Amino acid sequence: MSIEKRMLARELKLIAARPGDIFKPMWFLMLVISMVPLALAPDSDLLAEIGSAMIWVATLLALLLNTEHLFQSDFSDGVLEQWLFLDRPLAWLVGLKLIAHWLFHVLPLILITPIAGLMLSVSTEVLFALLATLFVATPALTCFSGLGAALTLGSSRSGILGVLVMMPLFVPVVILAAGVLIRATDGSDTLPLMALLGAFSVVAATLVPIAVSAAIRLNIGGSN
Amino acid sequence: MIFEPAQIEISELGCERDDRLLFENLSMTLESGQILRVAGPNGAGKTTLLRTIAGLFEIQEGEIRVNRLPLKECLDQVLYIGHKPQVTRDLTVLDNLKFLTGADEARLKSALGDVGLKGYHDSLVKELSQGQGRRCALARLWCVEAPIWILDEPYTALDVEMVETLDAQITSHVNAGGICLFTTHQPPQQLDYQTLELGHVD
Repeated sequence: MSIEKRMLARELKLIAARPGDIFKPMWFLMLVISMVPLALAPDSDLLAEIGSAMIWVATLLALLLNTEHLFQSDFSDGVLEQWLFLDRPLAWLVGLKLIAHWLFHVLPLILITPIAGLMLSVSTEVLFALLATLFVATPALTCFSGLGAALTLGSSRSGILGVLVMMPLFVPVVILAAGVLIRATDGSDTLPLMALLGAFSVVAATLVPIAVSAAIRLNIGGSN
Repeated sequence: MIFEPAQIEISELGCERDDRLLFENLSMTLESGQILRVAGPNGAGKTTLLRTIAGLFEIQEGEIRVNRLPLKECLDQVLYIGHKPQVTRDLTVLDNLKFLTGADEARLKSALGDVGLKGYHDSLVKELSQGQGRRCALARLWCVEAPIWILDEPYTALDVEMVETLDAQITSHVNAGGICLFTTHQPPQQLDYQTLELGHVD
């Protein structure tokens, strides 16, 4: 079996062994969304106005929640250092890991956002725009938070630190996505901003694995 | 199987960690058929030396060449088993080895038989005892074809019987032209090895 297939098979088996890793962020997302209408005055107009933005931010936070320990258990078990002996560049393996993470952990989050949209009475057009931005933007977000996770591997209780380090990279993505949502609400053209978001993801997916692999090497070099 | 003649050439290797000099001017050549035990008190730099030769640590000073090539280009010839578990607790014994070795299932099962884990193929590693977990990590010695073995404290948590099995496997590996480096605090009885003492740097 090729290394690529082995990586994917391992990811699937890990998910089967730790289903909570997938469901906890989904719970978190639905919990936040179900609390919003309760915390606001029951004004359906206001909800529809801020609903899509709320969902976007909640999805981002849920994504951070399930990415912050992306490499942690493999690192402390000593399995991550074995990646260095596999017959592939580390950046390639990291890329595979990020793809698998997006497919199995982030995609399910995106797929439940329409339910969240219904709960906050987001209009259909905006809901489509919301889904589209999430599809296009989450690869970049996954990469950035993966980089944060890799950079802080060596320090214990590193979760929030990795998120903080990567915050400046999340900001432009969130701003662009917000732009798309506002334009979708107005009914104006969203394509230019979507293209920019897509470019962000493409660049992140190309460059971040290299940075992550450097960060992993650095942390392996500093540990026993 | 028989390995091509292999050689590790270490020249003028030096390492400092946290402002403490662990070793310097360390030069030696290891050839096919050699077993080297790295000895020394706790904190002498045994693990650091092994991890440097395995390519996990950047070389600070000096040079390591494997078959005359820089170490970085030869990592596929190295099998490194560190003192971390090296296995994922939430996966089964067989799945762990499948991922790490890529060997086919028949070979893995025979390797697991050799380390006394027959019948544990589908047990999760977290259900095993510490010694059994260690056996699972060591099973790679029976199913990976790499000439250079670097084993950090391989005897930890092993029973007498498994220690003998491991010694026999190391012996047959170097007889086939492999090289083995290891650390341990209990000098093995059955092996014919050289010793490198660390910890005498002032």
